Amino acid sequence: MIRRISFVAAGVVIVVIAMVAFVGLFMLRQPGQLEGTTTKLHLETVAALSDAVEWPRPNDPHPDWVGYLPTTTWHVPANSTIEVQIDQEDGASGLRNPFWGKAFGIEGGTMHVKYFDDQGNPQEGDMSSIDPTMAAHTFAIPDLGVFVPLLGVGDNAAPGTQNIITFSFKTKGPGVYRWQCFVPCAAGTLFGNGGPMSTMGYMGGTLIVT
Amino acid sequence: MGMFRIEEADRPHIVRLLIIWVILSAIGIVAVLLINYPPYDQTVQGQDQASTLRLLTVLATPVFIGVVMMTVYSAIYFRRTTTELVDGPPALGNTPVQIAWVAISAILVLFLAVVGIATLSSENVAQAVGQPGRAIGQSGGQTGSATSSSGGPELQVQVIAQQWYFTYRYADYGGVETTHLYLPVDRPVELHVTSLDIIHSFWAYQLGVKADANPGVDNIFHVTPQKTGSFQVRCAELCGLWHGHMADSSGQVVSQSDFDTWIAQQQTDFDTIAKAVPSYAPFYFPEPKLKAG
Repeated sequence: MIRRISFVAAGVVIVVIAMVAFVGLFMLRQPGQLEGTTTKLHLETVAALSDAVEWPRPNDPHPDWVGYLPTTTWHVPANSTIEVQIDQEDGASGLRNPFWGKAFGIEGGTMHVKYFDDQGNPQEGDMSSIDPTMAAHTFAIPDLGVFVPLLGVGDNAAPGTQNIITFSFKTKGPGVYRWQCFVPCAAGTLFGNGGPMSTMGYMGGTLIVT
Repeated sequence: MGMFRIEEADRPHIVRLLIIWVILSAIGIVAVLLINYPPYDQTVQGQDQASTLRLLTVLATPVFIGVVMMTVYSAIYFRRTTTELVDGPPALGNTPVQIAWVAISAILVLFLAVVGIATLSSENVAQAVGQPGRAIGQSGGQTGSATSSSGGPELQVQVIAQQWYFTYRYADYGGVETTHLYLPVDRPVELHVTSLDIIHSFWAYQLGVKADANPGVDNIFHVTPQKTGSFQVRCAELCGLWHGHMADSSGQVVSQSDFDTWIAQQQTDFDTIAKAVPSYAPFYFPEPKLKAG
């Protein structure tokens, strides 16, 4: 009899220990703070995909559409600083809402812009906003509060000229965030918001944070 | 009066049904009164809508229970018991039943009509029919609005929809534009909803406001926040590729002092782009309509 009771007691103790261990090891475990990393994101924006300098997309069904290159699906780590360089090759078409001429949500509040002035001379400087009529595109991730206007290439700049825009922003937790352009830059479409503005893979995509 | 007599054979059913219906209806009404109805009570208008929803649910509960009860009761007590196919007795009309359902339906519908009209004409309605609100840029609490008589001057906020985000302009603070909607508690707000491109719908669920945002239209709604806390804004009109993402969970109802601090910071931020932003206007037209190729 005593032996049986002992077995039952031992069994109960084992089960209790297992349950406590389960709770302790899994249910109460807090994920550690993710180590912040720095990741670079290098992109190119073009007036027509067929004009791409760095990342041609020869088989694209819409070679005359504007687009971001080389891809519109970006993978970045969570809770990290993302350093972005955009080689912007499109001319200005202007913002419908001039408010987006100001940069939001980037480190230090400014972006560094290398561009060519009206006389075609190279210039560079830190900017917190641009003339909204001179915006070619925007880099915007609304759910992260990131809105960055991209200065269009001036009319007097030499063919093939690029404006180099660099800035950085911080990601939050893992998730899929949409990004889009706020310039109505889809040539030949109603309100400039059709075609590449309304099709994944051109002027909109996803930022996948893992 | 002979026609109003109930057949002797039907009396047990009627008594049984009445007892079941009264008990279940009482339980059902108590249960639906315990529900916290959306859009809850963050604003006066939201609370009003929740109260209306509660009233409708209370009135609908006995009707719903009656219909379900009759269906179930009939399936149990009046089901066909043999495999033989036999027609039921012909239904030639029943005056008491007809009078009852017409009278009860009429009373319910007329009562709801009175409630609806009273609600639409109340001061708390979000969109006051025939009340245009004050003109854009006009200083607060002077004309027109449905709620300007309480809680101080109305705060005028323009909601600007565009593919695919909402921005906000505060007319009473120099037309400053912001990326999130902040509202002070206990102060009536006049929302001017418009669009820069296509048709959107501004839906601030917890505020009890859902307003069409059309280009070239100034759609005016009133709301009075009465509780601090966050709220969500989303588009409720299918508007293209990123419609499903046209949302913002950062809306806040805050104290007046917190609002003052926040709007001062927004004005400082806005200064860098203020000169390029057009003057505050009732609405805007999408220009250009067709981007040159």
